[in-house]
Amino acid sequence: MTRISLLVNGKPVKAEVEPRTHLADFLRERLSLTGTNLGCEHGVCGACTLEIDGAPARSCITWAVACDGASVRTIEDFDDDPVMAELREAFTAEHALQCGYCTPGMLVTARDIIMRLPDADEARIRKELSGNLCRCTGYMGIVRAIRCVLDERKAHAR
Amino acid sequence: MEGTKKGVGARLPRKEDRRFLRGQGEYIANIRLPEMLDVAFVRSPMAHGRIRSIGKPPGFDASVFIAADLAGVEPIRAVSGLKGFKISEQPVLATGKVRLVGELVAMCVAATRAQAEDIADKVELDLEELPAVVDMIAARTQPPALVHEEWGDNVYLESLVDDDLQAIKRDAAVTVRRTIRTARQHISPMEGRGVVCEWNRRLEQLVMYSATQMPHINRAGLSECLGIDQGSIRVISPDVGGGFGYKGILLPEEICLAWLCRKLGRPVRWIEDRREQLSANANCREHHYDITAYADAKGRLLGIECEATVDSGAYSSYPFSACLEAAQVSSILPGPYKMERYRCRTWSVATNKAPILPYRGVARTGVCFALELVIDAIARELKMEPHAVRLANLVQPGEMPYLNITKKHFDSGDYPEAVRRAAKMIDVAGVRARQKRGEPDGRRIGLGFAIFCEQAAHGTSVYFGWGIPMVPGHEQCSARLSPDGVLELRIGAHSHGQGLETTMAQVAHSILGIDPENVRLVHGDTGLTPYSTGTWGSRCMVMSGGAVATACEQIAGRVKAIAAKLFEVSAIDLVLERGEVRVAGTDRRMTLSEIAHVWYRKPQLLPADVDPAGLETTAGYKAKVDTGTFSYACHAATVAVDTETGHVEILDYVIVEDGGTLVNPMIVDGQVFGGTAQGIGTALYEEMPFDEQGQPLATTLADYLLPGPTEVPSIRIDHIETPSPYTFFGQKGIGEGGAIAPPAAIANAVNDALAPLGVEITESPLMPRRIAEAVMRKRA
Amino acid sequence: MKAVAFDYARPRDVAEAVRLLAEGGDRAKCMAGAQSLGPMLNLRLVQPELIVDLRHIEELRATEDSADAVTFGACVTHSEIEDGRVPDPTRGLMREIATNIAYRAVRNRGTIGGSLAHADPAADWPSVLNLLGATVIAAGLGGRKNFPIGKFLTGLFETALQPGEILVGICVPKLPARARCGYWKFCRKTGEFPQAIGGALDDPERGAARAVIGATRGAPYVIGDARALINSPDEARLLAAADAAGLEGDSYSRKLHAVALRRAIERLAA
Repeated sequence: MTRISLLVNGKPVKAEVEPRTHLADFLRERLSLTGTNLGCEHGVCGACTLEIDGAPARSCITWAVACDGASVRTIEDFDDDPVMAELREAFTAEHALQCGYCTPGMLVTARDIIMRLPDADEARIRKELSGNLCRCTGYMGIVRAIRCVLDERKAHAR
Repeated sequence: MEGTKKGVGARLPRKEDRRFLRGQGEYIANIRLPEMLDVAFVRSPMAHGRIRSIGKPPGFDASVFIAADLAGVEPIRAVSGLKGFKISEQPVLATGKVRLVGELVAMCVAATRAQAEDIADKVELDLEELPAVVDMIAARTQPPALVHEEWGDNVYLESLVDDDLQAIKRDAAVTVRRTIRTARQHISPMEGRGVVCEWNRRLEQLVMYSATQMPHINRAGLSECLGIDQGSIRVISPDVGGGFGYKGILLPEEICLAWLCRKLGRPVRWIEDRREQLSANANCREHHYDITAYADAKGRLLGIECEATVDSGAYSSYPFSACLEAAQVSSILPGPYKMERYRCRTWSVATNKAPILPYRGVARTGVCFALELVIDAIARELKMEPHAVRLANLVQPGEMPYLNITKKHFDSGDYPEAVRRAAKMIDVAGVRARQKRGEPDGRRIGLGFAIFCEQAAHGTSVYFGWGIPMVPGHEQCSARLSPDGVLELRIGAHSHGQGLETTMAQVAHSILGIDPENVRLVHGDTGLTPYSTGTWGSRCMVMSGGAVATACEQIAGRVKAIAAKLFEVSAIDLVLERGEVRVAGTDRRMTLSEIAHVWYRKPQLLPADVDPAGLETTAGYKAKVDTGTFSYACHAATVAVDTETGHVEILDYVIVEDGGTLVNPMIVDGQVFGGTAQGIGTALYEEMPFDEQGQPLATTLADYLLPGPTEVPSIRIDHIETPSPYTFFGQKGIGEGGAIAPPAAIANAVNDALAPLGVEITESPLMPRRIAEAVMRKRA
Repeated sequence: MKAVAFDYARPRDVAEAVRLLAEGGDRAKCMAGAQSLGPMLNLRLVQPELIVDLRHIEELRATEDSADAVTFGACVTHSEIEDGRVPDPTRGLMREIATNIAYRAVRNRGTIGGSLAHADPAADWPSVLNLLGATVIAAGLGGRKNFPIGKFLTGLFETALQPGEILVGICVPKLPARARCGYWKFCRKTGEFPQAIGGALDDPERGAARAVIGATRGAPYVIGDARALINSPDEARLLAAADAAGLEGDSYSRKLHAVALRRAIERLAA
């Protein structure tokens, strides 16, 4: 067992973990943060995407022990985030989710696109979203929702 | 009835979004019970073998269980009453033989899944390899082995729809014969299966949480295999992360865990991981067609004959059985077309692969692929536009309702209009001009169409003939207006993405005027809901929707009876709107919650003859006919084919869809888009290949490619709304349609692009390798 | 799909890392971004007893910008290169390559050194760095060694690293002003590993004309003198190159690699 100390959703967490525990399992099983879903455990589907030190990462192939000293944000930490609030509203308006399983990872990636690529066009949005698979929506609503938020933010910036 | 702002017809945003957008969904893997243990299975590494021995690792006797330990547990038997159907017995843990890679051999339990896997790694399996039955044609004609020795062959079922085609063979101006293959696929919802079982001491009941589309059916199956009455079992399906048919099954894992939790006296959990999913459960879409079409010089179909084979895997899955898809092929192959003669023989064949499940669209995707490719081949021979050949053969709107050549009763619709609109949207003339101009990058442009009609919500008389363990008959809804005016609806169907919590509330709003925010849907729990065969076959909006509407009508009657007394008017003078009861032509009104308050808290004010059943009812529903509804759609695609690499880019994709009255058009669009994305996967990306030993070769998502946002284009959709005469609001089942046409539309587009090279592809998926090799062969 | 149990060590510097790996022998594996190692661990394709985490060694995260080269620490991430947060010696080529590696979440953790040390033939950096004539710096108990990239990548998942050695840096010479580069890869879907990679470099100042065929069954195949090929990329020459890269068995794969190479040459741009 290894002792780790990290920030999770802004709160300091200390725990003893088996090194083989990946970050997603640590968050889900030990901290009951079940918003992060597991879809493949080999880094392809993106369902487990969350933020580590401010950047989206796949929690299924990141080890909890490797996050000693890091700051982790899961979907649960974005309840009061203004950009995420815009995204949630857009996701509902554009029907960007059906079963909801890919949604937390999709939202983290979507927020990253909005923060990092404010001028992204549809082709770029689709490319940047490629690491998040959805089996329900055909991506139509998700892409529209992200476009809506980008367009609104541009309009407000002017 | 209330208008369309929040009721039937409204693009109402979904209520369930709230929890999913904040990561508050409760999926099976989120359920944790005190003292719960985790299970990992030892699965067969071999497709076909005799079990010599299974060695439990020393010191782990109490943690490892094999078939011999599960005394009294019956194998899974999905029967069918169809003549000649052979029953397969699927032991929940392998006994005697293993019949597919991934078959359960042993169950290991520990405090964590990782530790359970450690134990599983130590189990010693001694198997004697047997020849694997991999190719479905050889399985029937030259079997290398028998999957079920007692059968004498590898055929679950053979079916024949017979007809005499002599005359049309003679008269046909065009004869087109093709061999068409569609690959085995994996349904791949984002969430896999999962089971949590515990024994409830107070209720003396096994409680099984399972990500399932049909909790009541799982309960029945568990009862049969465990030998306990259904009352001793409660199945709860929580939030489900996608189903598409994958979760419409009684699992051996469910039975094993149910047995285990009693044995250990502790809750147990198994969560399917992606490798288990892919390697053990690729279970759909693998068809083979030898199809011949006869047409006259104007492209009118005279008749079709076909021999079709479905690779149904090693066992009949419960409840659908291995008869479903192959027998369905012969009844639906004619599609939405008219013809004079039709002959079709099918085989459902056993192989050493996972048991087949009905994946969105079921056999329709395969038959649409086979028939629509042949229609285009006819068009090429006659030098007609492919959409014109379709127009020459589709059932006409004036002929509705129409009984087709296989006695399918098409309820309503304008099939030719769907094709005309799609042709306009895709701009046939524009694409033809572009093809003539040629592309600066050398790619070849092609255009393809596909049209289908989809039977849904069909009932007893259609299914009873199949004799499977599940016959959908009536559907019920329990409704209760609570003391504070909230309407609780309980249905036995379940959501796995289609938004029933919202759409059923819209139905309630249309009948009762109650705000959808004040409607709560309870579903997925056998302890709380009326019996239902569940969510599959695009049946919920018709069946559960009809039951909800009927129950709401009854509640409306009860509410009006009470209000009539309180207002001292006649019930017919009352209007239900905006959550209130109002006396028509006046401003006298009461809220539903005030009425409820009277019933629950002030019975002294009720009419003397008030129905003592009060504000609670269970109502049943059956559609006017058992033959179901027929939604339909025409898909059209423009593609660019890179003939050097074989890569296909979809440049434009249009859909003209008719689902009758749409309860929530936004949700309908979502279903169509999602289905189309899966269809694009079927067309271009998804294949589970097997080697000669029956080893699945695409066991991670790096090999089994699911389409992402750059593979699925932006899709344009138009709607026709021809109500069904047979359902409550005229709605039709539409959930599967999107997944039916894309392989045909895209293959037709690719073949249109490659026609000048004399290349035609008749096998899906249209992988780059397949296309490029076909082009290279032609050039050589 | 859970990994086998292993111990975890987080060395503070290269010397400690090397010592831990040397002691661990083949029971130890080092880990940087874990984007390749992670899946292998979860799938139990590797079952180490010790994981040595290199990500927190400052030296490995640093970049050195000198007159004629940039030396990247092994743990510089793809997204740092993509974003231009580290210098780009190739006037934009490396940034563009990085942008098209996998997906952003992978690029945020995956490292250039990890990619090279893993030596997956279908990864981008092995082919690109061969094209650019990079030098790999390795550290072991005996000190540091330099390898020309062509000598470093030796086969399918094989490098010249000996047990106990780690890759610490990659030195990429700065591209002269008149040098042109072309790169083209064929992926079945966005972000997945390519089926074929082609690369070409035309550097008149240093008199170099190089081509590379990647995503083969072994190390990237480098054509040291590709002048004739670049001048006239006819089918015969291209197919011969593909054959020499070991692809003669499979006519589609051979054709695909030839096409990738041709398209890379067509894209030679300043």
